[in-house]
Amino acid sequence: MNELRRAWLIALKDLRLEFRTGGRLLSMIAFVILAGFLFAFALDRSQIAGRDVAAALLWLIMLFASTAGAGRIFDAEEEEGAFRHLLLAPVSRPAVFLGKTAANLIVIWLVTALAFISLTAFLDVRDAGSPAAHAAVLLPGTIGLAATGAFFGRMSRHSSLGDTLLPVLTFPLLVPVIYLGATSTARVFLDRPWTEISGSVRLLWAFALGSVFIGAALFRHLTDE
Amino acid sequence: MTLEGRRLVCSYGPTRALDGVDVLAAGGEIVAVAGPNGAGKTTLLRALSGERQTDRGEVLLDGSPVSGADPGWRGRVGLVSHRTGLYRKLSAAENLSFFASLHGVPDAREAVRLALGTVGAATLAGTRVEALSRGQSQRVALARSLLHDPDILFLDEPFTGLDPAAAAALEATLRARRRAGCVVVLVTHDLRRCLGLADRVVVLRRGRKVHDGETGAANAADLLRYFTVGADDPS
Repeated sequence: MNELRRAWLIALKDLRLEFRTGGRLLSMIAFVILAGFLFAFALDRSQIAGRDVAAALLWLIMLFASTAGAGRIFDAEEEEGAFRHLLLAPVSRPAVFLGKTAANLIVIWLVTALAFISLTAFLDVRDAGSPAAHAAVLLPGTIGLAATGAFFGRMSRHSSLGDTLLPVLTFPLLVPVIYLGATSTARVFLDRPWTEISGSVRLLWAFALGSVFIGAALFRHLTDE
Repeated sequence: MTLEGRRLVCSYGPTRALDGVDVLAAGGEIVAVAGPNGAGKTTLLRALSGERQTDRGEVLLDGSPVSGADPGWRGRVGLVSHRTGLYRKLSAAENLSFFASLHGVPDAREAVRLALGTVGAATLAGTRVEALSRGQSQRVALARSLLHDPDILFLDEPFTGLDPAAAAALEATLRARRRAGCVVVLVTHDLRRCLGLADRVVVLRRGRKVHDGETGAANAADLLRYFTVGADDPS
């Protein structure tokens, strides 16, 4: 059987568990709505236009929500020792990583969509720019966040520091993603031409593909005894 | 078919969990690996199944080295452990269907139905694992291990927490696998049970093999004495 199909089976199983338990998704959604609500009150919008800061706040929310969720990606696997059986099935370690990343990516997409809607609503952003351009920036950015989260989410399981270790490991690595993503999204909000954005998007894709391939190649070191 | 672990050495930091252990298990035979806590039983099982890389030594199937990194090898192995390894929020059938698909079982639905029927758990198919008792969960876990019709079955303390009926059902399934010619390796600290079920018993103590022989009346008394008084070599 194709390894990509096995990865997809793992992703489907994770999503099914995610929507049944709801713990991780609900906490991320609650965080997104609360953050958007608080930012709306914290900013003096007579001085600062909502769309000037929406991009930075969006990426900040995505970063915190995805990092908070990453620590729980492997919860269901650990609960009854299922991960041992998953690893003993004839599925490659890269396929396990890709499956975990794909499920995490779909959850992050939901959170990002909600964050986008709540921020534009709470900050009263009337003209948010081209949806296609936003998608073109957010897609590689979220892939980078998902792959990094899946990899370090597993790594944090190996440490007695657990979730405490996760932001320490991921935040420095994600600085380029956040910087490139936030500046590109800001330009989309301001309706800047695509030529001003495309260079950053190429770098975001480079990070996204790099994190997926490097994560897949190194994942066995986090799983095999 | 023979599964052989040859001079297996495994360490956890400075602690040597296995210290040059040789073990041989033939098809149609149940081999029990027994010993007190910390003897290296689970490490031996992990080394044989390929879950854990050994520091030294090798695992051979019919004389050829096998590796846990080889998906073909993992596809021939079934595992039951004291933890069920099931997803609590999925039903028994969903759990089994997921693992059957990973194993590439052609008709996953039929395989799930048959496996649950084999262990007497057909009525539990639609029930979420979180709603099952310990014994019921363990039956489903056993069904999962049989889905892909493995040649080699590893069991790590599978009787933990089972009531007598569930333990008897598990024993019956293991005897059926023995009749089918499977290699069955059973790790337990319950020597009385393995004397009644296994064909041979390997006793470990502090990472070393201290006994390897057929189970029988002649050995039983010595082995039991070993477990109760902690003699160094029951043989």
